[in-house]
Amino acid sequence: MKIKSILSPELITTSLKSSTKEGVIGELLDILVAQKKIKNRDEVYTALMDRERKMSTGIQHGVAIPHAKTRAVTQLVACIGLKPEGIDFDALDGEPSKIFIMTLSPIDRVGPHVQFLAEVSMVIQTQEARERLLLAKSAKDVLSVFGI
Amino acid sequence: MAHEMMILALQLGVILVMTKISGWLFSRKLHQPKVLGELVAGMVVGPYLLGAIPLGSLGPLFPPVAGTIPVSPELYGIATVGSILLLFTSGLETDLPTFLRFSGKASVVGLGGVIFSFLLGAGITVLLHPSVHSIMDPEALFLGTICTATSIGITARILGESKKISSPEGVTILAAAVLDDVISIVLLSVVVGISIVKLDGGSIAWSGIGVVAAKAVGFWAICMIVGIFAAPHLTKRMKGFESLGVMAEISFGIALLLAGLSEMAGLAMIIGAYIAGLSFSQTDVSAEITERVKAVGEYFIPVFFAVMGMMVDFSAVGSVLGFGIIFSVIAFAGKLVGCGLPALFVGFNLKGAFRIGSGMLPRGEVTLIVAGIGLASGAIGPDMFGVAVMTMLLASIAAPPLLVQSFKGGSGYRKQLEEPVQSHMVTLELEFPSERAAEFVRRSISDAFRSEGFFVRTMEGSVRSWQIRKEEMVFVLRRSAERIEVIGRQEHEAFVRLLLMETLVDFQEFVDSLKSMEQPEMMGAGLLLNMFAKQQSSDS
Repeated sequence: MKIKSILSPELITTSLKSSTKEGVIGELLDILVAQKKIKNRDEVYTALMDRERKMSTGIQHGVAIPHAKTRAVTQLVACIGLKPEGIDFDALDGEPSKIFIMTLSPIDRVGPHVQFLAEVSMVIQTQEARERLLLAKSAKDVLSVFGI
Repeated sequence: MAHEMMILALQLGVILVMTKISGWLFSRKLHQPKVLGELVAGMVVGPYLLGAIPLGSLGPLFPPVAGTIPVSPELYGIATVGSILLLFTSGLETDLPTFLRFSGKASVVGLGGVIFSFLLGAGITVLLHPSVHSIMDPEALFLGTICTATSIGITARILGESKKISSPEGVTILAAAVLDDVISIVLLSVVVGISIVKLDGGSIAWSGIGVVAAKAVGFWAICMIVGIFAAPHLTKRMKGFESLGVMAEISFGIALLLAGLSEMAGLAMIIGAYIAGLSFSQTDVSAEITERVKAVGEYFIPVFFAVMGMMVDFSAVGSVLGFGIIFSVIAFAGKLVGCGLPALFVGFNLKGAFRIGSGMLPRGEVTLIVAGIGLASGAIGPDMFGVAVMTMLLASIAAPPLLVQSFKGGSGYRKQLEEPVQSHMVTLELEFPSERAAEFVRRSISDAFRSEGFFVRTMEGSVRSWQIRKEEMVFVLRRSAERIEVIGRQEHEAFVRLLLMETLVDFQEFVDSLKSMEQPEMMGAGLLLNMFAKQQSSDS
């Protein structure tokens, strides 16, 4: 799975405005809508929030990976948002979340969806990579952390 | 033409019915490998026994055909497809990393066997045959070469039946047998070259023989290298068909192509088929291809063995019985010692060396090819062809029980050489309150892997272990009672953690939905009430 084939500068924001889980997820969805990556925003929002209700996708060290399976996409789509100040995302370690990587994958379609999530997570597993990401001023800086 | 095809259909029908019954009898009642039953079935129904009896206006079902092969070209063609299928599946079932790891040892074993057998075979011919005076005599050369080839087919079938193909001995035997066949064919081309010149009364042109030999070895090496690198890319492309059936069928097509090319290069077809199998063996779809090809093989492979049995001309063997027996014993000794002894020096203990020696005993297709060419070129007569067939037969009958017996007991590999446990593996464990819950989640985990494009299959000899594979990613999933384990390489740990987490989140949702379900016993009561309601209405 090539991260490069999924991510592009238009799918990245370094300055999320919202300070709530709902707000951040909404903002990230707006990016995907603007890039015509998803058809039905409301359906996707519901799917993402359902997933959050089952178990928060805020994992550790300020990283959150909101994701869901939905019929609103026909192939894997992803976007990245940064909020250096951090927000409460009900993270498993209780820390505020700062790096948000959202992925949406189609239902009933075989593909390396979790594998993509794992690959992205692996890139930012070191503190150094996360710090570089949070210092990013532009989408290009963010992509360079992923080696793109 | 229609008459020939009708005969072919009848022949194949008889062969299939007889080999299946005889194979069943040998494996279930006599506890011998099926292949022996198939060989014997071929001898019994073949042109030199029952097959020669005329059946009214139809005539004999297996009329002896003039030439070196006593069956019709059509039937021999089907048998050839069987041998290609057999070697293709043998290649597919070989564990390539183990094969490569043991190829050095196999070269030593194979070469030892070839040199020792050749010298013994040619030597005994010079010693006992009144008209042969030198080891360079065509007859001595041919009989020496006849001793060298191992029937990888028979050995592979026995190893496959007893699930020993991937053991250190199994891989060494198969790799050495393949090398043996390659060396034998190279040797054959050299011997044919010398014989032709000798029979014509001229001197030997070593350069011409060298070219033939180099071509054979070059083809083998190039195909192995290209195959091993190309197969994963090829299967990746073929996944686009979204049909495992189509993939298996195309793969077999490639095996047939390689078999043909192999013959063109002066090697036996079975070698190309084996290389094709070996190349696909390391891809993530090897198990799926094997399963499908094996199903087809069940129909064609017995035909191959039956036809081998049919080649035995009992009358030709009769006149040279004494020499044949001595020659067979010598051929046995040549392989047992020639392969067993070098095995002792490359890490096997006595038990392992004996296993390897017995595994190299069976003679088969290449022996017949060598003998057939010898007969056709006039280098050997029908009597010596009979000796070759006898050697093949005795070895093929004696080797399977010996091989099966030899594989009983512990490892044949010296302890200090056994592979160390891999340290970069990670095990993730989950524990559930009941076996049923664990099994439910285990199935969900398998499904989750499948939806990521992985192939999941039950591991051989186990009911609770699964191998999960996609390209270079390999995991083992195990369930023991309430516990589930996923074992994989460290670099894939994050992926497994995320996948397990998603499966558990789904499981949680399922549990919640169960909680909201109406009382199951009420549902049951409803079902029973409905049953009685129907009975009442039918009463009235």
